[in-house]
Amino acid sequence: MKVAGVGVITGWGRGVEALPADAAATAGGRYVVAIPRPAPPGDRLRRATRECLLGIGAVEELLQTVARPASELAGPGTALLYVTASAYGAANRAFLGARGGTLHFPYTAPSAVPAEVAIEYGLCGAYVNFIGGAAATVDALWYAGSLLERGACTQALVLAVETFAECADLYRRARWLAAGPLVEAAACALLRPGGRRAEYDPDPVGVDAARRRTGQTFACEPLIALAVAGGDPAAVAGRWRGRRAGLRRL
Amino acid sequence: MRDPVAIVAAGVVTPIGQDLDAFWSSLLTGGAGITRIERFPVADLGVGLGGEIKKLPPAPRRAPECRASRLLLAAASELRSGGGALLARDPARLAVVVGTALGGVAEGERALAGAAGLRTLAGALYDSPARNLARGLGARGPVLTVSTACASGATALGVGAELVREGVADVVVAGGYDVLCRFVMKGFDVLRALTRDAIRPFDRRRSGTLLGEGAGLVLLAREQDAAAGPRLGRLLGHASGSDGSHIAAPDPNGRGLEYSVRAALAEAGVAPTAIDFVSAHGTATPLNDRVETNVLKRVLGRRAHEIPVNSIKGYMGHTMGAAAALEAIMCLLAARHGVIPPTFGLEDPDPECDLDYVPRTPRAARPRIMLSTSAGFGGCNASLVLEGV
Repeated sequence: MKVAGVGVITGWGRGVEALPADAAATAGGRYVVAIPRPAPPGDRLRRATRECLLGIGAVEELLQTVARPASELAGPGTALLYVTASAYGAANRAFLGARGGTLHFPYTAPSAVPAEVAIEYGLCGAYVNFIGGAAATVDALWYAGSLLERGACTQALVLAVETFAECADLYRRARWLAAGPLVEAAACALLRPGGRRAEYDPDPVGVDAARRRTGQTFACEPLIALAVAGGDPAAVAGRWRGRRAGLRRL
Repeated sequence: MRDPVAIVAAGVVTPIGQDLDAFWSSLLTGGAGITRIERFPVADLGVGLGGEIKKLPPAPRRAPECRASRLLLAAASELRSGGGALLARDPARLAVVVGTALGGVAEGERALAGAAGLRTLAGALYDSPARNLARGLGARGPVLTVSTACASGATALGVGAELVREGVADVVVAGGYDVLCRFVMKGFDVLRALTRDAIRPFDRRRSGTLLGEGAGLVLLAREQDAAAGPRLGRLLGHASGSDGSHIAAPDPNGRGLEYSVRAALAEAGVAPTAIDFVSAHGTATPLNDRVETNVLKRVLGRRAHEIPVNSIKGYMGHTMGAAAALEAIMCLLAARHGVIPPTFGLEDPDPECDLDYVPRTPRAARPRIMLSTSAGFGGCNASLVLEGV
């Protein structure tokens, strides 16, 4: 498979150009580097959660990066593979906090983010949501490669979204899970057939490649690493809760 | 057409039976899995009924408290009877793929209510129960959690089969789970999606679904690796599809469901005319059952009215992430035993749902090629094509 482009939004700003050289130093003691809630035009997304809007924002950023119209995504030919470790946390917590009446229950599901993306861009093809951090994103990239190779889609979006602000207090208490700074991010890669076959690597080297610049972005990290590498790295890898996964000869 | 993947063994924990034999027996005799929920308060909810498992099987030593993990570990213990040799082979080549709509949210509910500590809160992460299952199995291969709402179990089987086909793993434990908790009961209550009556799939009087809990797992391996031992059947094809239509309701035209059925058949290399039996999603919501009927008619064509179709949600409620895995296992048991369980709760067929929904009594039949359909919030759809032995 070939990486046609990657759209990236982080707490540092839009695109990889906004990434600092050293996330920890630039965070200046902030534990969470948040992205403000986007303000989409129109009324359709008025009930959508912030993570849904960030997912759509990442696709918009991708479309600008590859200079293609949104209409090229529509239809059954585009697969959507979504990954997150944490983005359902805010909605789950809000609903658990007896504020359920104000939050539309279906938005508590991890599948809400890709659902809004699918509705926004008219995607009606292959569709899987992977839960986990960077290792799960590698799984999604591998699965996208498999779909492309067997002709189950003509192109694939691998989308990752991570939000932390609403659960910052919990993450702060659970630093053993992830040292800061936690940097909110949304990233979307557009994959097309061709190039060399990607081989699954259960024990890769070079995990956490982008972390020094990005901070902790969980599932977004491998996609940001792809963007930093110009979409054509020799390998991509990730780690989450002790599990490692990688792809070679991407 | 993709290579078939062998389904070597299965394990279940459900409100109607905590092993394959009890589960199967209840499907044929109409064992009632719907009861008043007792494990958490429901008095303030419009509906307090569900498919609750009243007593979990004994936990293995050092098992986590997490109910979802306990369900998975209990279902996995049954895999050893048919697939023990494969499970014991090479831990590094043993993978786990589980699907869930809720993950460990029940743990989050406990922790945020102050009933448990921060470690318990980590159990609320959606991927925690899969990690506990992998630890219990001693699996050191990839451990994946997928969440396509109530289609998650089918997605897990499909992704698991792909891990086997692509040589990422030799053996995969795949399936789905979910537990009843206040979080989900309250959510469905707010949506007014639960019925105060019984679950009546494809019935004129159907008025909504009820939720249930459970876990269903299968052991997947390459055909050649499974050749020597017993097996339940084969997974021939899987596909998932997005509606791209609505955050909660199914697409009225069933676009994503139809895509997933057609793509799964294509992956299996099976013509619609070859289907012997369909396990429908059949939630008993007015819209789902009508949409599903129309999709089956479009895909199966003239034969649609000749093919038996059932829904087993009336027995135990909609078990969400477990549902598709349990339904796939039901298909394989139907092929093995030569009997199709009836659609429990269907008494007065809806004229708009006019397929052969196997009402009232079990049907003697020996289906070989079977289709199982699933759908969920967010326009998630998934279909499986299975072959029984």
